[in-house]
Amino acid sequence: MSGRRPESAIRPRTARLDNGLTVLLHEMRHVPLVSVWCWYRVGSRDERPGLTGISHWAEHMNFKGTRTFPRDQIVRHVELAGGMWNGYTWFDVTTYFETVAAAALDEMLALEASRMTGCLYAPREVERERTVVISELQGGENDPRTYLEKEVAATALQAHPYRWPTIGYLSDLQAITRDDLYRHYRTYYIPNNAILVVAGDFESSKALALVRRRFGRLRPGPAPPAIRTVEPDQSGERRVRVRRPSGATYLDIAWHAPAATDPDFPAYLVLDGILAGGPSVNAWARGGGGPGKSSRLYRALVEGDLASEFFTSMIPTRHPYLYRILATLKEGVDPARVESAVQEEIGQLAKGDIDAADLERSKNQFLARDAMESESVTDVAHQIGFFETIASHRLWLDLARRVGAVRTADVARLARVRLDTARRTVGVLIPSDGAPPPPAGTTGGPHG
Amino acid sequence: MKTSARVHAAPAIPTLRTVLGNGLVILARPHPKSRSVALHLVLQAGAAFDPAGRSGLAAFAATLLDRGAGDLTAQEIASGFDRIGATFQAAARRDTLEVECRCLPDHLEEILGRLRLLTESPTFPEDEVGRARGLTLTMLAERAQDTAAVAEETLQGTLFPEGHAYHAPRLGRRDSVEAIGRADLERFRARLLRPRGAVLALAGAIGAGAATTIAARVFGDWENDARSAATSTSAAGRPLFPERPFFPDPPRPDRAIVVRRPIPGKTQSDLAIGFPGLRRNDPGLVPAMVFNCVLGEFGIGGRLGQEVREKAGLAYYAFSRFAPGLGPGPLVVRSGVTVDKVERAVALIDRTLAQVVRRGFRPAEVRDAKTSMSASVPREMETSVAAAATLAAAEFYGLGIDFPERLPGLIAAVTHRQVEAAARRHLTTGHQVQVIAGPEPP
Repeated sequence: MSGRRPESAIRPRTARLDNGLTVLLHEMRHVPLVSVWCWYRVGSRDERPGLTGISHWAEHMNFKGTRTFPRDQIVRHVELAGGMWNGYTWFDVTTYFETVAAAALDEMLALEASRMTGCLYAPREVERERTVVISELQGGENDPRTYLEKEVAATALQAHPYRWPTIGYLSDLQAITRDDLYRHYRTYYIPNNAILVVAGDFESSKALALVRRRFGRLRPGPAPPAIRTVEPDQSGERRVRVRRPSGATYLDIAWHAPAATDPDFPAYLVLDGILAGGPSVNAWARGGGGPGKSSRLYRALVEGDLASEFFTSMIPTRHPYLYRILATLKEGVDPARVESAVQEEIGQLAKGDIDAADLERSKNQFLARDAMESESVTDVAHQIGFFETIASHRLWLDLARRVGAVRTADVARLARVRLDTARRTVGVLIPSDGAPPPPAGTTGGPHG
Repeated sequence: MKTSARVHAAPAIPTLRTVLGNGLVILARPHPKSRSVALHLVLQAGAAFDPAGRSGLAAFAATLLDRGAGDLTAQEIASGFDRIGATFQAAARRDTLEVECRCLPDHLEEILGRLRLLTESPTFPEDEVGRARGLTLTMLAERAQDTAAVAEETLQGTLFPEGHAYHAPRLGRRDSVEAIGRADLERFRARLLRPRGAVLALAGAIGAGAATTIAARVFGDWENDARSAATSTSAAGRPLFPERPFFPDPPRPDRAIVVRRPIPGKTQSDLAIGFPGLRRNDPGLVPAMVFNCVLGEFGIGGRLGQEVREKAGLAYYAFSRFAPGLGPGPLVVRSGVTVDKVERAVALIDRTLAQVVRRGFRPAEVRDAKTSMSASVPREMETSVAAAATLAAAEFYGLGIDFPERLPGLIAAVTHRQVEAAARRHLTTGHQVQVIAGPEPP
């Protein structure tokens, strides 16, 4: 297959500055653009009750002005260079990026260096942003699927900090102080907790010199605290049922899934390919197109007239998280029938009902998607940085080979051992006909 | 700090344009680093062409293109794509029905053949039609609970009166979707799925000449159905685009209109304010784009985002957008606002818009927007998917396939006076339509 990524096609130059900053540079000279991503090993996993949502709020604050870039100038500088910019916070990572004209590389490095240590956290800006992040939370909770996913995660995970949403709980967002935010910023935004990735039109040696000049003098800090909690084994099925204003009934089934570094991770990708057409391992790419219509779940759920649509999710994470299947039920369908249909398909896999064509199709889908999602400087820089932040960029570069090595027996074993009913959490959201919901963040879920 | 921004022309990658005897325009543009190919087919078959009482027909048909075609069943079609990791997505927009495929270069000819079969000969099997109806009705029920969707659709239905091509929602209404049957779909196919007026753009890991040769071989003998010609320009008025229909301007409201759409139980309201827009080939297009960038795009939502989000902290988002098409797509101001802050946000947006009309923009605001827009052109053409979609749209709307290359120069030529004139033309304050969708205020 000519779309297969040659082993040497993406091989970023790697450097580590004296202050601990990891630097990854990958030349792509086809367009006069560079994509600069600055990653921090901090996300909602590093929070605790009372401070949930603080990593995401800090990300917002880091667009609010630094000692050298006034508030209104951060985004302005990027856009004047034709740039696309953004940032996001998730379980394991917080990141900021700019994709700009190549001539603006040094200016973007100056911006990210300033963001690393020089953000202001002016009290007035903190208060303005409090209502903005609360508005973001409430906008998300308007979506019943988002609400159900949050409830299921909080039920499936009872100890690990992946159990609360990255946006946080309303009560915490109302209570977090400027000092909380600034302490969080100073703890995690240090060069020895960061990864800088640049992909695009530059010469690596010159770019590295610019990076050293902009970041080399920043002082390292004490290593941030590690995550100690390991989610205990689940020994029985869990269920959560919520009522919410909604136009449909939703079913979300979640099983515990391994970390991205686990030897079983590639087999999960192949398993999902057979069940649903394969997940993306690029959290940023907008590609995809939904489940494969020849996949087993599409035939069972959509062509079986049980669901109008469904999605699966297998996110690469630092610690074990969840593999989940989320279905929008057709009107009048009992969620129990959909549950049975899903488990029936998993049962077929567990029995080894997988032929060579199934395996080949799943692997081809992964390889093709990988090719489609690593075309732009933005996507390539994202993938290098994301995987380096949660484990190593080599994990991504090696994923195609490891997916290629997955055997039928590996998939059957996962279905049999890991996707059994005793290890699953089943969530159902029933339309509530417009009755007012309980206040956000204080619902009757296990986090209440 | 000195900025290093410059006006950049898009990279000089030539696009090959070929017109087949049946009228299909083929565009091919290689991408030196891509490992895949993007195909983008645009047909003049969007929601604007839905017959009376059948709103949602184009969207309905789009979901069925890959659910049976020629002698192939839905599963045979799906297996054909999934086996090689190719993707197929079809969607109806306002003016167009668009199909996007992605595949690895080895499979280009196979995918082109499949693309032709699916657009020329969909069979609309009865069981699939029933399934698609159920899917659409579920989506409509979900959208009725979605504050953003309700705000946008209510705005569109209020700005454009009953009978206007842009009045009905793209997905249709419950009664119109329930009424759609196989006969409607078959008429849709015969009337609108045709090569004349359509554009096929190919971009990515291809040679432009070779890819065009293959595409011409595959699509060259696709014939225009005799029934298609008579209905292609159904609306009255002078055609602005050769071979494209004319959709008239809607009447201007004689006063400001406020519509409230209560959706109980939601935690946030969505606000949509609509003003007169413009067509894609309007001579004022580029000045209007610059005006919109200053008003609601540059930075975090332009002047609107500065006032509503950054300074007042009233919303997570506040922005504006133009949606120019064959008809006059409106200028829309949008914001998502916490329930107890809706009135403050509305008042602040009104004040901001009035100030723009009265005092105009600062020279630096216009300069920054122009610089940003010009410099962003190479980025917007970087990926194969984006390049194919951009080129297909430029061709379909008669802007010329060199439009991306010419755009930086066109933007540079826009004057401050033109931008302020665009503001006065479009911000007809006192005659806007304002929709608030969400829970009742406390």
